[in-house]
Amino acid sequence: MNDNTPFNRILVANRGEIAVRVIRACREMGIESVAVYSDADAGALHATLADHAVRIGPPPATDSYLSIDAILDAARRTGVQAIHPGYGFLAENARFASACQEAGLVFIGPPPEAIEGMGSKIAARRLAQQAGVPIVAGETPADQSDQAVADAARRVGFPLLVKPSAGGGGIGMKTARDESTLAVAIAQARREALAAFGDGTLYIERLIQQPRHVEFQVLADHHGHVVHLFERECSIQRRHQKVIEESPSTALTPALRRRMGEAAVAVMRTAQYRNAGTVEFLLEGTGESARFYFLEVNTRLQVEHPVTEQVTGIDLVRAQIMIASGATLPWSQDAITQRGHAIEARIYAEDPLRHDLPQAGPLLLYREPSMPGIRIDAGVVEGSEVTVHYDPLLAKLVASGETRDAARRRALAALRGYPILGIRTNVPLLIDLLEHPRFIGGAIDTGFLDTEGDGIRARLSTDPPPEVAAIAAACRATVAPAALTGRGPATEGADPWTSLKGVRV
Amino acid sequence: MSEPAHTGTGEVISLGNGCYRIDDGERRRVAFAVAAQDTWVFLDGRVYVVPPATGIVARRSVADDRGALTSPMPATVLAIHVAAGQRVTRDEVLMVLEAMKMELPVRAPRDGRIASVACRPGELVQAGVTLLEIED
Repeated sequence: MNDNTPFNRILVANRGEIAVRVIRACREMGIESVAVYSDADAGALHATLADHAVRIGPPPATDSYLSIDAILDAARRTGVQAIHPGYGFLAENARFASACQEAGLVFIGPPPEAIEGMGSKIAARRLAQQAGVPIVAGETPADQSDQAVADAARRVGFPLLVKPSAGGGGIGMKTARDESTLAVAIAQARREALAAFGDGTLYIERLIQQPRHVEFQVLADHHGHVVHLFERECSIQRRHQKVIEESPSTALTPALRRRMGEAAVAVMRTAQYRNAGTVEFLLEGTGESARFYFLEVNTRLQVEHPVTEQVTGIDLVRAQIMIASGATLPWSQDAITQRGHAIEARIYAEDPLRHDLPQAGPLLLYREPSMPGIRIDAGVVEGSEVTVHYDPLLAKLVASGETRDAARRRALAALRGYPILGIRTNVPLLIDLLEHPRFIGGAIDTGFLDTEGDGIRARLSTDPPPEVAAIAAACRATVAPAALTGRGPATEGADPWTSLKGVRV
Repeated sequence: MSEPAHTGTGEVISLGNGCYRIDDGERRRVAFAVAAQDTWVFLDGRVYVVPPATGIVARRSVADDRGALTSPMPATVLAIHVAAGQRVTRDEVLMVLEAMKMELPVRAPRDGRIASVACRPGELVQAGVTLLEIED
């Protein structure tokens, strides 16, 4: 791929770190960028960095970043040729992708049909089956009597999940470990399905115990080339929000990796997919005996894409722009290699000791560490105001090293030198996670934070060491009283160790 | 190399970028930010929000409002500059504590008169212990 794209101006329909990431890619490629921002983001980093910035509405996302009309209007007014949706917001909205096409704009992502097709879990499962890729055994019995649902459960096998067919988000989902708990599970799921969705149709699925979440990055161009860029393991998550991702996964053997990569490519080929996408799998067991099952396809660039960039050396955002411009993928599958190890830690503005409550406020002090093997993708700078309107992701810290342990130690060293003050963040939790014996041993599954979370929080909630009060008092004494009435950073020129005469250290 | 904990002198080195290193037997990374009320302290990846009450300001009892000044942490009383009956003005240094090899001035939270002094120089005081009391 060379950088001679037909685009000279791209609109980035997003905010935060991903908008910054795409704007930087545009700059590198010699393409002008147009940022959009809501009133809550006037002066935000992404709006400041872009070549042009257009206000698209008030703070609520439905009136700004989710408003197709407002974004297309901004695109028309700035004369862009293409729109990059980032992730979240409109990135997986088929109607938006279609609207872009109708407006004569290139949507940097898959065609609307692919978004639509993968958006339906049933259609996606059918597609995976067509591609010969295993799915988790399950069925929706045509006869929905309790007796027929129980018969279906016996065909699927225990342990299993009874799920509302209409549902989502785990509502009404019941586990039956054996025959004795089956009748109760069916009755409960039925009641909750009717109450929540007005539809008591039940679906039976085999329960994968202690699964890992392993996903494969795929790139597909418009000329029939489809390649994968290996896996990302994303098992450290809470309530389906990923916290730490890495590549390679400690659970895959080379043979299993090859089979999963081929399965991912087969799914995307069958779906006639284009651009960057991710095939998610559940992995049961480890090593040669492990089994994988297709979960779903994410039809967008993922938050955790830097992990793949670090181990493959391929810039995924640049690849997306090139593919959208009609370029041919320059790599054969064999030319893409996985080198070393990368670990991403997501830094959220939330308090791990108060039920992960999102935090809002000014970043009084924000200093990114700079050291070998550390990459930080951030959407904020010191002085930024973190608001309650959007996702609490502040930044992603990605550590690379020759080995997993080298990357892990780099991540730890970097987090210990990454002060973020003014709002609470999950950095202390990330440090504890990266030091956890189970994480160090690679013995992780998607239930990790459910089983270990309480222990981690108990360690985090210890009283401050006694010197903290002394340090605080010393620091405070260096700041002029006038500075204390303002809301801005009050660290200007305040060096407690040279200006504080009363302190002997 | 002498052991800092025994000599009573550690080292503080600016690492630039708003970060410091304190050598108090361990090497620790410190950064801070002062807000209108609280002081935010970063120490080796952990963040502590220190409200004014645990600093050097009086912790008042709601019941009698005696204006008792308490020790914010376990500390040694290094010097006492005032005596009972003496009038003091706001922000005047009343006494000096030492903890973790740092000296901490204890200042008057307001104008007043020293009602009583409840500690002696050289005494080791626990956190929350009354040091002295101020009355109007």
